[in-house]
Amino acid sequence: MKPIEQPGDAMAKLVEAMQARSPRIEHGGLGANSHDRLFKQPLLTKWTDSSECVRTSDPGRLALPLENTENASGAWRAGKVASEPPEADNMKDATVMLAAIEAGDSKAAEQLLVLVYDELRRLAASKIAGEAPGQTLQPTALVHEAWLRLVGDQSPSFKDREHFFRASAEAMRRLLIDRARRKHTKRHGGGYQRIDFDAFDVAAPAVDDQLLAVNEALDKLALEHPVQAELVKLRYFAGLTNEEVSQVLGISLSTAKNYWTFARAWLLNEMDGN
Amino acid sequence: MSGDPDRELVVFTEALKVPVQERATFLERICAGDENLRQTVEALLRAHDRLGNFLEEPPTGASVE
Repeated sequence: MKPIEQPGDAMAKLVEAMQARSPRIEHGGLGANSHDRLFKQPLLTKWTDSSECVRTSDPGRLALPLENTENASGAWRAGKVASEPPEADNMKDATVMLAAIEAGDSKAAEQLLVLVYDELRRLAASKIAGEAPGQTLQPTALVHEAWLRLVGDQSPSFKDREHFFRASAEAMRRLLIDRARRKHTKRHGGGYQRIDFDAFDVAAPAVDDQLLAVNEALDKLALEHPVQAELVKLRYFAGLTNEEVSQVLGISLSTAKNYWTFARAWLLNEMDGN
Repeated sequence: MSGDPDRELVVFTEALKVPVQERATFLERICAGDENLRQTVEALLRAHDRLGNFLEEPPTGASVE
């Protein structure tokens, strides 16, 4: 008699298969083709089925690990940084969360945001160790690398990409704003604790100040023009191109360009007026 | 700013397609007495003229301390 395969065995095999396909990211390096893989791959392949299985068959994973909650409140552990290998647990968390968001779970969106924030911060810190002074930290590279580490090399569904990049844009925004505020406090005599990410200094205090001013104006833009404000987050903070933004927002390329021009003018006008 | 956000966007976008010397006439006509809208769009057009590289660079210059 043929042995009956336990559901748990199938799960284990799937997870193993996914992990085997996970990207091998060398320290400090981003696969040159990661961008192409994300945006130019066919949307559906045989891998979609297995990833769906992983996403939906383990609802218990939706519970957010406590350590991530702690991270969200700003209590970063300075020692836990850099070149850790992709974590299978995080990868599974991300795919489960993406599926839950698609199913309308609003809590999952916040959980994904925390996970992505954590990952982006760690990646940024690892870049510090690996690169010479004066290098520019590219949000677009960080975000795409975070995708590979959290979601993997499977072909993403269109909706997954949309949710992921929206979360990434917001996470990058929070990372940069949090850091700019800490540095601002430091310059004005406040208490300051050196944290890994802050080693990525911006060239001049004026850059931080502009970042904070843009952020403030962006909040106002969001009240009147929420779609255009989202576009700014995706372009400015996550470093997406007009083409990518048009895909994520589901608008035409020419509309994306028009919105971008309008939003920049709106923000500059708002900032100059204050 | 107040008024209809969608109209601001549409009028601004259309005004950019009009040659600069014809914009005042265009706005006069399209805003049809909505002074608030006209002033808002004019302010946005002035901001557009001085955009330069605003927001085109990533917000993260980097140097290791």
